[in-house]
Amino acid sequence: MTMIDFIKNNDKSPSFLGIYIHIPFCRTKCLYCDFCSFVSRSDGEREEYVSALLKEIEARGTKEYLVDTIYFGGGTPSLLSSKQIGRILSALRENFVVCEDVEITLECNPMISKRDVEEAVPYGDGLDLRDVEDVAPYGVEGYFAQLRRIGVNRLSIGIQSAIDSELKLIGRRHTFEEAKRTFFAARESGFENISVDLMFGIPSQTMESLEISLRQFISLGAEHISIYSLQLEEGTPLYRLQDRYIIPDDDVVASMYENVVSLMKEAGYSHYEISNFAKEDRESRHNSKYWRLDEYLGLGVAAHSDFGGKRLENTKDMAKYLSGECVENELVIGESEREFEFLMLGLRTSEGISKSEFLHRFGIDFDVKYGEKVKKLEKMGYFWQNDDRIALNERGFEVSNMILAQILDFDY
Amino acid sequence: MNERQKHIRNFSIIAHIDHGKSTLADRILEATQTLTKREMEEQVLDNMDLERERGITIKARAVKLDYTAPDGEEYVLNLIDTPGHVDFNYEVSRSLNACEGALLVVDATQGIEAQTLANAYLAVDANLEIVPVINKIDLPSADIQRCRDEIEDIIGIEAQECPAVSAKTGLNIQSVLDAVVELIPAPTGDESKPLKALLFDSYYDSYLGVVVYVKIIDGSLKVGDKIKMMSAGQTYDVVDVGTMEPFGLKSCGELHSGEVGYFTASIKSVGDTRIGDTITLVDNPTSEALPGFKAAQPMVYAGIYPADGSRYGDLRDALEKLKLNDAALTFEPETSIALGFGFRCGFLGLLHMEIIEERLEREFNLDLITTAPSVIYRVKKRNGEEVMVDNPSNYPSPDEIEAAYEPLVKASIITPTEYVGGLMDLCQDRRGIFIDMKYIDTTRVELHYKLPLNEIIYDFFDALKSRSRGYASLDYELDEYNKSDLVKLDFLLNGEQVDALSFIVHEEKAYARARRIAEKLKENIPRQLFEVPIQAAIGSKIIARETVKAMRKDVLAKCYGGDITRKKKLLEKQKEGKKKMRQLGSVQVSPEAFMAVLKLDDND
Repeated sequence: MTMIDFIKNNDKSPSFLGIYIHIPFCRTKCLYCDFCSFVSRSDGEREEYVSALLKEIEARGTKEYLVDTIYFGGGTPSLLSSKQIGRILSALRENFVVCEDVEITLECNPMISKRDVEEAVPYGDGLDLRDVEDVAPYGVEGYFAQLRRIGVNRLSIGIQSAIDSELKLIGRRHTFEEAKRTFFAARESGFENISVDLMFGIPSQTMESLEISLRQFISLGAEHISIYSLQLEEGTPLYRLQDRYIIPDDDVVASMYENVVSLMKEAGYSHYEISNFAKEDRESRHNSKYWRLDEYLGLGVAAHSDFGGKRLENTKDMAKYLSGECVENELVIGESEREFEFLMLGLRTSEGISKSEFLHRFGIDFDVKYGEKVKKLEKMGYFWQNDDRIALNERGFEVSNMILAQILDFDY
Repeated sequence: MNERQKHIRNFSIIAHIDHGKSTLADRILEATQTLTKREMEEQVLDNMDLERERGITIKARAVKLDYTAPDGEEYVLNLIDTPGHVDFNYEVSRSLNACEGALLVVDATQGIEAQTLANAYLAVDANLEIVPVINKIDLPSADIQRCRDEIEDIIGIEAQECPAVSAKTGLNIQSVLDAVVELIPAPTGDESKPLKALLFDSYYDSYLGVVVYVKIIDGSLKVGDKIKMMSAGQTYDVVDVGTMEPFGLKSCGELHSGEVGYFTASIKSVGDTRIGDTITLVDNPTSEALPGFKAAQPMVYAGIYPADGSRYGDLRDALEKLKLNDAALTFEPETSIALGFGFRCGFLGLLHMEIIEERLEREFNLDLITTAPSVIYRVKKRNGEEVMVDNPSNYPSPDEIEAAYEPLVKASIITPTEYVGGLMDLCQDRRGIFIDMKYIDTTRVELHYKLPLNEIIYDFFDALKSRSRGYASLDYELDEYNKSDLVKLDFLLNGEQVDALSFIVHEEKAYARARRIAEKLKENIPRQLFEVPIQAAIGSKIIARETVKAMRKDVLAKCYGGDITRKKKLLEKQKEGKKKMRQLGSVQVSPEAFMAVLKLDDND
């Protein structure tokens, strides 16, 4: 039984927990990236971070929950050695109760160079290699095989585009050929659940080049594809340089999205969330927790948690984190803010929200409070609903922010 | 005339903007030792922040200076500062009437400008002794002789011997003081006659009530007197009498003929103190009021609305506070379907309007939406009725109108000769009627036009400056009403008329203006969830149209690593923006977009 089935059958159980582990290192920083990551210079630096992470795991461990998803995000988690990842997983298993059929995802750079692997599987630097039996031949396949062995069962590979010139423009340092090799190496090593990222609206991209990328991605046979549009975030190099590039305008981006959605459907993927597509039963269990307001614990620098009725934010300051100061912000989420979140996140999914669940959770009749506004938007063709569920349709997804801003109650 | 009176000099400084009026006033204050340099706040006379920033005097101010001449004689100099803008011409003329002389400051690098002339004529009308002062002689491009010649040729007053100074460096300031004492006559009033005083300014003080500035023409005024404002008709008991010292008011109990000072009398609003009014005693009144009194008459009207509708009450309070000190400002509540509750405000002119807007935003922290300024049109209806229209929304429908009239102004433009062609085109384009053109000298020309006021308030000044690289200067005065082919232009968004965008325009201009505004609307209206047709109409006839396409895409962000705060913030920002949005029919428009549509420039 998959966890999705489990959740479906058992309603929602508060005793499940997702764990997010942030690995804030990258070889280089992509030009559009606004996430918390540092260009990692030395293996020592990474090792120091892993030690701090292990301490946090120990400090925040709890046996009250059943951990059913673990997600290594970044940054570039694949910059860690399989050994380091193994130690983190062992620590999690020691300090938490981890389900047998846990989903363990690791975000992975499409180019795991020889240098990465050599650095990632350090030989003779004094590390204890007891539980890594087979590090030879130290190739990419070997690395993935190790990951499989220690329990990682899902990879998310940030390929972004199949057009090398586009990759270059956004500061990715891999080619599509290299990404493909990495993908198939993962397959060879036994990964049956692989997700890839595709970006649209990037400089110089056209409807045609996007379609080429998409068809390439589909032909890889990935179980899951995340497709999202480039956002120009203030403070990023791409934001500063945007005038130098030809960035597709909003109308083109909208058409791109529409085209993507129909091609993905044709290829047999279900559009289960605004920017996520999956083959049957291959939805991301971990990410689904975010959209359902399920509990998750974020560990590592700058990680976010929704845990015990509070939203927690870990420090973004690496030095502080290394010294053991983890949680920096604690926000108790009141009932009405929860309601806001429930709608904001639930309406990202194609199944939308359930009015009966809404009533159960908040004691509020959805139709009484929001029916008027929703009806108007439904008439304009942005919603669908049945007796219990209400959701944005494809058109609605495209302008979801605008729609949410119109219907949500911000006075929490 | 008694000895006391012989030692009084009441004078103003008049000038074109930026010719150095305030700086000269500062130097005079310094030179009379009234203020030491260290004590001096730059430009003491311009008290308002806004004045200091814009370098213009908005309200008149007066100050009493004690001056010992080089020969040992002691004088009282009353320096009455005047507003330097055409909007405030009436106030200027009243202030000038409180004086016997005026220093006419002319920038040695610029020569005579439109307001130099306009002010000089006002001074001549007030029978003042005009003493030219050539300023900025420290600048390399100063041409003192040319200035002297211009003053003599154009204004017709002797200028070969007049002071030439640098107010900035203090050079030759003594010669100005000598000229004030020697050339400006002492006031001539008769102390034995009944009180006759000119009210030339007033302001509201929250402790004292209204402080009234007066020049005693005849008789005297003392604490306890029962006085009467001759045009307003009200009577008051005088509470305090004194003089305006550089650092504030100083009680002295009594003012005599020829003197300039203030009094308070528990007056509640400056609206009760009309500038130009004559003050006399109830028991022993003067037989005749001073001539030239006019009630303040707004020329330009605009709707002012709070950007945030919930701040209507704050806007009303703010306008009431400003009104305490500004008798010329008028306001009436008005309702716009598009903008909600606001006020139709009347102003003396565009500068006055800008100043009020800025003070509301700055001193009262209000965000405003202001509709396009309008003049007052006179409309004769077919049923014989005649109406004055200050709000385009109230303009009668075309089939009701027999004839429409709009106010004209007489405009005088002084410009270097090379820009004459461009400026004549501009005046032509603005429906100007050419009157004449005079050469001031070989390099400069004075143009006279009759222009519709509604063309002047439509960014005429900016266009004038841009077509003359800032060299042309403008002055105008209200003239007559003229019959005109006016139409009301309406705008419809999504089929619904937006009242706040309507305006009155000459028929010939309607098409071009309609297209331009429709384009602006298209640029500035954010895309909505549905397509928005924009139409411009005269009556039921559509004369321009544009379309805002429906919104198709907004950000498809990744909810990364469970960090939903980004998303929340994004939505909150969107919502915050929405709060400020105005619902124009079914379309939401931000105040910024609304203002952008109304702000057209010459290049459009």
